[in-house]
Amino acid sequence: MTSSSPVVPSFSPSPQLALAERLLGLLKESATEPRQDLQIEALTLAVAADLPVLLWGEPGIGKTAALTQLATELDLPLTTVIASVHEPSDFSGLPVIGDDPAVQGVPLAPPDWAVRLVRQGRGLLFLDELSTAPPAVQAALLRLVLERRIGALQLPPGVRIVAAANPRGSAADGWELSAPLANRFVHLDWVHDAEVVVRGLGGVWPRAELPRLDPERLPAAVEFARRAVCGLLTVRPELTHRLPSAETRRGRAWPSPRSWEMTMRLLAFGSAAGSSREVLSLLVRGTVGDGPGLELLATVDRLDLPAPEDLLADPAAAVLPQRGDLRQTVLDGVVAAVRSRPTRERWDAAWALMARALESSPPDVLVVPVTTLASLRQDAWEVPELINRFAGALQVSRRAERSAARVPAVAGRR
Amino acid sequence: MDTEKLFAARLHAVRARPYLATALFAMHVVESSRVPTMAVDRHWRCYVSPRFVERTSEEVLASVWVHEVSHLLRDHARRGDRLLRAMDREGPGARLQVNLAADCEINDDAFGDGLVRIPDAVYPDTLRLPANQLMEEYARCFSLDSEFQHLVWLECGSGADGWEREWDLGPEGAHGLNDQERDLVRFRVAQGITARPGRAPAGWRRWADEVFHPPQPWRQLLGAAIRSTVAAAGAGEDYSYGRPSRRSTSLPGVVLPSLRRRPPRVTVVVDTSGSVSDRELGSALLETAAILRALDGRRDLVSVISCDAAARTVREAAADSGWVLIGGGGTDLRNGFSTALRRRPAPDVIVALTDGQTPWPSSPPPCRTVIGLFPRPYTGSVADDEDNPDYRPDTPPDWAKVVTLS
Repeated sequence: MTSSSPVVPSFSPSPQLALAERLLGLLKESATEPRQDLQIEALTLAVAADLPVLLWGEPGIGKTAALTQLATELDLPLTTVIASVHEPSDFSGLPVIGDDPAVQGVPLAPPDWAVRLVRQGRGLLFLDELSTAPPAVQAALLRLVLERRIGALQLPPGVRIVAAANPRGSAADGWELSAPLANRFVHLDWVHDAEVVVRGLGGVWPRAELPRLDPERLPAAVEFARRAVCGLLTVRPELTHRLPSAETRRGRAWPSPRSWEMTMRLLAFGSAAGSSREVLSLLVRGTVGDGPGLELLATVDRLDLPAPEDLLADPAAAVLPQRGDLRQTVLDGVVAAVRSRPTRERWDAAWALMARALESSPPDVLVVPVTTLASLRQDAWEVPELINRFAGALQVSRRAERSAARVPAVAGRR
Repeated sequence: MDTEKLFAARLHAVRARPYLATALFAMHVVESSRVPTMAVDRHWRCYVSPRFVERTSEEVLASVWVHEVSHLLRDHARRGDRLLRAMDREGPGARLQVNLAADCEINDDAFGDGLVRIPDAVYPDTLRLPANQLMEEYARCFSLDSEFQHLVWLECGSGADGWEREWDLGPEGAHGLNDQERDLVRFRVAQGITARPGRAPAGWRRWADEVFHPPQPWRQLLGAAIRSTVAAAGAGEDYSYGRPSRRSTSLPGVVLPSLRRRPPRVTVVVDTSGSVSDRELGSALLETAAILRALDGRRDLVSVISCDAAARTVREAAADSGWVLIGGGGTDLRNGFSTALRRRPAPDVIVALTDGQTPWPSSPPPCRTVIGLFPRPYTGSVADDEDNPDYRPDTPPDWAKVVTLS
């Protein structure tokens, strides 16, 4: 066993070796530049939110390099632990027999890197090769990742955990991640961008910056995150907990109360930091899985759409989304709101909205909402004057009908 | 441009294919006289030639709308990139080939049922290829020689083949959809199809099933399932204090467990009933053998049972010469399981290879189980079982890891 403080012998290196050192030093020199990089942004946001991240990527893709970069930028000391070469006791603590075990018990001694981490009070703990760690080691890692405990030691709050794993296809000797361990991570697929690699080898790597949280937006961010997640789970309670059953999805993200809580935290952080939807999409889908993640993102999108009641209250000031499918969703919502509480004023307001929408959208988008709205008319209500403006939209509808009628019933079938 | 005609055609398309409505409405129309007909880019803009609209009837335009949106939904641009990288080809010719193959993938079941066939479009039979394949398969099956020169005017834009055109507005242009928005539109369309699968043709249903979960190669899945089952704690390997750890000498006073490995015994139960083809069985068995050999290499711990109505032990897999299987007729895998479990010492892991047309044991066996399942599409025809047309074989039990081998 080597001593923990090696004594460096003083010697004068040969001139050739010294030159070699200098050349190595020059090669190592690199600068960073700010660059829009979604995966780095997602990684830093999750690290800032203090959630364990798991990077999936082929061997040699630069996961370790990215982590080194991240640690430098965040000014956190990096501790790398190759999970696959450790034994479970390295994570759960090594039992040490003291003088009087019956009285004092047998303490579980933590390994040196853990002691150092705790003494520093902060740092980036990088668990590499997670998928090639035997199942027993993975079980020991559960406690480290979830409770942040190694033996008797409690990791201080300043320590962030990032892990890396090789996808099943490329890890010849890999085990799949157990479902409980997979559920504790934010899964991010790490792919290389040829352009970034070339810039990096040329000496300039993209910079990972901690997201800037806007102090004004914190309460609103929490409110937004809660509304999004609770809104989805209220209408889709079956998404609350769903163990992965299909063999293809094992070892990856799946929805559970724990991962929904993580999602909520990520949404709040993303909203407070003003992160883009694409970053949120990477994070959310990496936490609860693709299907539930996409449903949540769809809910978030709907939260962004103007509420039907607000639109009806002030049609003149209405701002409608540009995209046709979103616009139709909004207008359908308005018609549904009128149908649920039909009054003359609301019906007129809805027509005013439709007329507004007509100014800036293709007429075919309006056909369904307009015809439904027209069908809601009650006998005492006069037809508003602006209905003439929809002649064009109705003409489109009639043309489409005529066109459909021209298609023979068996056309195209062979 | 006659927008009324263009949008009447889109409405026709929406009414004929309601599940594509979200995607059709999400496209942004850009008038452009530089495209020959209609074309899309990666960002869901749809470039339309006014002259094309003028000379084309609404019903054909409606079919073109569906055709163009299909390129976007099916992600042909990105798949084309990947395909050409795999084939190590690039250039306008290769991209045209991608475009034609993509057209075949769409056109083989897009029309009919309210939509006319587009005249002059490319169909699999134009290229003398069989229908119902994927773009990747089509693209490898033909080459653009002089015979197909009349097709080179075809042009569906960068959204169909990934090749940037000079008229493209690019990622920075207005009204483009980003990755996340594109995924959401795809997700809504897929949800619409899976919610009412009866209305969509088979090609779209397959797309909806696979759009966010592309099937993985079964070899990897089977490998991972067997590997994790064989290696799981309790199936052979575990930590024990029965023998001092290799580190003990350097850590006096510390009690360390050591890793003790007893290689797990694996029994492979093979369904040799008439409904499983020799070719299927052969490849699955070879694969299983290779995985087990890579895991341990002690062939004496692996045994194989072939199973039809009456389970018959084949022999221990001791030699490289392969396993001879006897069988035919109907299957009852329950016999296979009980025969496997009766052996002493009992197996730690059972790997069953079957087509699933069998009753399953009613309770989980006292060991880990992996089932490799050859898929059998349920045809629903009376011929399956004349007395009981509603008969469906039981689905594999959920206590086993099930890998579909296809």
